[in-house]
Amino acid sequence: MLVTWRYRPRKSLIQSFDPRAWIIFFLCYIACTVLFWDLRYLLVLFAMALVAVFTSGIKWHEMRRAWLFIGGFILFFSFLTLLTGRGGIELYKEEHVIRRLAAGFTLFGWRPTLILSAERIAYAVAMMVRVFSLASMTILIPYSLNPALYGVTFRGLGLPDKVAYGMDLTMRFIPSFGRDFQLTMDAQRARGYELEKISGGLFAQVRKLAPLIVPVTIHAIVASEDIIDAMDLRAFGVGPRTWVDELHYRPRDRALIAFGVVMLLVCIALSLWGFGKFWVPEFLLRLAQ
Amino acid sequence: MSELPLIVENLTFRYRSRHEPAIRNINLKVQPGQVVLIAGASGCGKTTLIRCINGLIPRSYKGELTGSIRIFGQDTQGLSLARISQMVGTVLQDPERQILGSRVINEVAFGLENLGLPREEILQRSQEALERLKIAHLRDRETFSLSGGEKQKVALAGVLAMRPGILLLDEPLASLDPASAQDALQMIRQLADEGMSVILIEHRVEDVLAIHPERVLFMSDGEIKFDGTAEQLADYVDYREVKLPAPMILNLAARAEPPSEPHWLPSGREGPREPLVEFQGVHFGYENGTEILHGVDLTIYRGDIIAVLGPNGAGKTTLIKHAIGLLKPKQGRVLIRGRDTRHMSVAEIASTLGYVFQSPSHMLFAPTVYEELAFGPRNLNHDPETLRKEVMDAIEIVNLRGYEQIPPLSMSFGQQKRVSIAAILSMRSRILVMDEPTAGQDYKNYISFMDSILQMPGFEAILFITHDVDVAIRYANRVLLVNDGQVVADGAPEEVLSDLERLEACRLVPTSLLRLNLEYLSATRRFLSAEALAHFSLA
Repeated sequence: MLVTWRYRPRKSLIQSFDPRAWIIFFLCYIACTVLFWDLRYLLVLFAMALVAVFTSGIKWHEMRRAWLFIGGFILFFSFLTLLTGRGGIELYKEEHVIRRLAAGFTLFGWRPTLILSAERIAYAVAMMVRVFSLASMTILIPYSLNPALYGVTFRGLGLPDKVAYGMDLTMRFIPSFGRDFQLTMDAQRARGYELEKISGGLFAQVRKLAPLIVPVTIHAIVASEDIIDAMDLRAFGVGPRTWVDELHYRPRDRALIAFGVVMLLVCIALSLWGFGKFWVPEFLLRLAQ
Repeated sequence: MSELPLIVENLTFRYRSRHEPAIRNINLKVQPGQVVLIAGASGCGKTTLIRCINGLIPRSYKGELTGSIRIFGQDTQGLSLARISQMVGTVLQDPERQILGSRVINEVAFGLENLGLPREEILQRSQEALERLKIAHLRDRETFSLSGGEKQKVALAGVLAMRPGILLLDEPLASLDPASAQDALQMIRQLADEGMSVILIEHRVEDVLAIHPERVLFMSDGEIKFDGTAEQLADYVDYREVKLPAPMILNLAARAEPPSEPHWLPSGREGPREPLVEFQGVHFGYENGTEILHGVDLTIYRGDIIAVLGPNGAGKTTLIKHAIGLLKPKQGRVLIRGRDTRHMSVAEIASTLGYVFQSPSHMLFAPTVYEELAFGPRNLNHDPETLRKEVMDAIEIVNLRGYEQIPPLSMSFGQQKRVSIAAILSMRSRILVMDEPTAGQDYKNYISFMDSILQMPGFEAILFITHDVDVAIRYANRVLLVNDGQVVADGAPEEVLSDLERLEACRLVPTSLLRLNLEYLSATRRFLSAEALAHFSLA
C-alpha cells in the first residue's frame, strides 16, 4: 500500500497557508528563479527560500538525509560545471582567465588543461545558488503538505477529478517506492548479496543490479494493478466526484497568491528589459588581470 | 427485493493467457443472510469466481466468459463496474493492496465520493460504517500506521459504506492475529444476520466454521466438488487437504493408518546446551523515536525449534531482523556464535543464518526457479557441484520438482512463497529463520513443506514467526510469546500454551487442537498433532 511522506502538522509559515495558495506561489517562485542568471537577483530569491526553510518547523534530523543527498548532488555537479565550463558558453562570449592548469602529460597528443576563468566561477556559483533555491522550496513540500489533501488540492487548482486523484497517488508512490526498494535490498542482503562488491564492465554491473531492479519494478507494476482494481471496485471515474475534504481561501491565502503573481510579473518585466542577465563580479575580473 | 441476491449459472472462464479454463460450470444460488464459505487449495479457481461476481472479470481481466451471473435479478453482463460495485462489495485478501486513502476517513469515503453523493451524506454514511465496525476512534489516523487487524476493518468499512447487498471476502483472515480474525468473523456473522449475503473464501476453514456458515463449498480444479453443510463437509473432503476442527479429525484419523512418529531433525538438545544466537538486553527504536523492543534477552540453542507467537505489531519481525543483522540494536547486543552482529556484514551472517522474508514478491527476480535458488549459494561462493545438489534438494522439499525452468514471477502467490523459502534452504545455513512461512498457504501445502523442512538434515536450530497456534503445537519444541516489544513467555509449548489467560492477553485464541491437547496432556505429556492424538486416544 502507499505510504506517505513525513508530514505532520507544524506551526510554520508554509502550513499557515492553504495548500493551493502555496502551490501557486511555489510555481511563481520557480518561474522567477529560472528567469535570472544574475547572482544578486538570485541571492534575493535564495533568501526567500531560506526564510521558508527556517520557518518551516521541520527539524534538522527529519530533513538531514534529503539535504545530504540533494546537497551532495548539487555540489558535485556545480564542481563539474566549474571544471568544464559547460553550459555557460551561451551566456558569455569571452573568458577572463585567472589561472590555467595544464597537466604534465599528454593523452594521444592532447594535454588535459583546466581553465579557471572569472566567468566560469561566476557561472558555477550562480548555478549553485539557483538550484539550491529550487531544491530548498521543493524539499519543504512533502514535509508540509497534508497527504490527505493532495487530491483536493490539485482538484482545487483546476485539474480534472481523474488527473487530480492520479497526482495524489503519484505523490504517494514515490515514498512507497523507496520503502519497497529498502525491503528488497534487505531481502537480497539476507541471501548474501552485496552491492558494494559489484564489479565488472558497465553491462556486467547493470546485470548484477537485477536482483534489486527486477523485484522493485515488478512490485511497482503489480501494486499499480492492485490500485486500479481497488479503484474500479469502488466506482472510480464514473462521473463527477465529491471530495469529502474542503478547502477555503482566506484573505492571507489570496494575499500570498497575489504576491506570487505580482512577483512573477515584475520578474518577467525585469528580464524583458534586460535586467538580471549573467553578471560577473568586478573582483573576479580584477583577479584575472 | 424478491429476487435472489446472486444466481450463477453454468459459469466458465478462461484467462486470455491460459489454455485451460480457470473455472468450469459453476452453478450457485445465494440467499439473503447466508454465509457461504468457499474452501479449496491454492489455484482451485476461488479467486477467479470472486472476480467474475464483482465484475473485474471480464472488465479488468480479459478472457473468455460463458454462462451468466445475475445479481438481484440483473444480468451483470450489461452492467458497469460502478453499478455492480454498489451491489457487490469486495474485500481483497490483503488490505494493504486495497486501501487507497491516506487517512482512514478518506479511505472509507472513497467509494461514496466517486458516486458523487452530497458531502453531508458521505460523512454520515462513513461515520456509520466506522461505528458499526467499532473503529470510529481511527477516523483521522493515517492508514499506513494501522495494525493489520485495523487495516482489515478499515477496508471492510470502505466497502460497507457503499451498502452492498452482497459481500465478497477473499481470504480476509490471512494477515490477522487470531483474536483479530475472531473479531472479523463475528462482524461478518452479524452482517449476514442483518440480511447481507456473504461469500467468504478462506483457508482457515476451522476458524470460519465457528460462525456457522449456512453453506460450505469445496472447489478443486476450477469446479465446485462439494456443496453442502459444514457437518457434511467432513465426510467429503480429505482432512489432510482441508484443515478441519481437531475433534472432526480425531474421528476421521482414527479410521486411518496411524501417522509415523514425527522425527524433527534439528536435534542436539540433549547434553550441554550450545548457544547459537544470543540477544543481550536488546533495545531498538526507529528514527522517529518510538521504541519497539524494550530490552530483549533471548538465547537460541542448538536443537531449538522455536515458534514466535504474538499480536500484529508486537515487534516479532523487528526482533528477528536483529538476528540477521539487518537491524542493529540501539542498546545491548546480538551475538551470532559469539560474534557481535555490529562487526559482521549481513552477507557474512547469511552463511550461518538463513532468513525467509514474509513477502516473496520483494526478492524474486531470476528468469528461472533454478537460477533463483542458485543466487544465494552463488553469493556465498559454493562450488558448482555442491550448488547443484543444494538447489535440487531445496526444490524437492518445497514440492516444486518440474518447475526448475519456470520463471518464478509467473507463478501463483503460494508457489512464489515456496520458491522464496527454497531460495534460503539452498544456502544451507545452519540456522533457519522464517517470518510467517505458512501465511496464505493452503493446509496441505504448508504441512508438506514444514514437514520436509523439519526433516532436512543440516539445521542446528529453526525459528519461525506464526499466527497459527496449531503450527506451533505441531512443530515447535519451544514457544516464545512476544507482546509489546518484550518476550513475555518462553518455554516448552506445553508450559507456555497452557496458560490461556496469557494467550488471550497476546491476542491468541485457543484452537480446538490446543484444547484437545490440554485435555490429554496428563497422559501424552507433550503436544501432538490431531492425527497422532487420534491414535493415542484409541490406545
